[in-house]
Amino acid sequence: MKESPAPPRQGRRATLDWADIRTGDEVTPMEIDVTATVVVAGAIATRDFMPVHHDRDYANAQGAPDIFMNILSDTAYCSRFLTDWAGPDATVRRLAIRLGVPMFAGGTLVYRGSVTGHERRGDEGVVTVEFRATNDLGDHLTGTAELGFPVPEGGG
Amino acid sequence: MTESIDDRLAALVGRPVGSRGTSVAPDPVNQPMIRHWAAAFEDWNPVYTDPEEASRSRFGGIVAPPLMLQTWTMATPRITGIAERGGSPVEADEVGPLAVLDEAGYVGTLATDSEFEIVRYLRLGEVVSATSTIESISEEKRTRLGAGRFVTWVTDYTDEAGEVVGRQRFRILKFKPEGAPA
Repeated sequence: MKESPAPPRQGRRATLDWADIRTGDEVTPMEIDVTATVVVAGAIATRDFMPVHHDRDYANAQGAPDIFMNILSDTAYCSRFLTDWAGPDATVRRLAIRLGVPMFAGGTLVYRGSVTGHERRGDEGVVTVEFRATNDLGDHLTGTAELGFPVPEGGG
Repeated sequence: MTESIDDRLAALVGRPVGSRGTSVAPDPVNQPMIRHWAAAFEDWNPVYTDPEEASRSRFGGIVAPPLMLQTWTMATPRITGIAERGGSPVEADEVGPLAVLDEAGYVGTLATDSEFEIVRYLRLGEVVSATSTIESISEEKRTRLGAGRFVTWVTDYTDEAGEVVGRQRFRILKFKPEGAPA
């Protein structure tokens, strides 16, 4: 039996060393071409069956020009943006987002962020990232996240 | 004696958000749903889907994506009639506490904030439960959409031992749409 090919990997394979991260470092930007398929795939994978996320006629009747991304997809993309940059051993400890303009199908969503904090907390090195995801209408969301990194015993 | 709207809203604080107190995930944390999620978001972090790389990672094995936390306890939808129910994926068996706001004219709803604290990552086979409680309801504020009140609830996600694995704070604005009759 032929195995299916491995999925393409865009993220970092080795985790960043916490001690090398500096305040002001840029998080690798992430651009999503938000097609209708992207909106629907995200809604269903997060088990969100609200019709505004998969039925354009329904969205139009609600006054929206098209279907739009659900919030569980937003937080999913936030975590991918963070761990694609930080690497597989980094853990998302906190993620807080404020929602702005909607993300309608047919637009492009760009995530950008930078490091604003760096501290040792217990047996982890914690990095704070402030970020925003923008589309052609403005800020779709702004947020703050904390990532935990493994650090050597007694080091850091 | 008629209670004021402020008294009625104050009585909601600390109460469960839904008609049921706690939602138990219909399925345990599992690889097929994780792979479906990873494919949808093209998130190929190996600790979610690659058992060999995950075993060499800090986690020592597959873990669920932390932001899938809310997905595990989402209700199994009843697809028939979903549009007629205003998009609600489940039959409302009881009027929820937020109906008080709709009755008072705050019929518009806009999500404004979502905040997660992840205590630990989940492993395959774990069963998650979610309990949501209304934390606060603001006084009426002027917003660009109309007069409204911010409603905040906190969801505790727990494992089978009852330990909290994550916590979510979610805030919506319930507003009186401008131009609508008061």
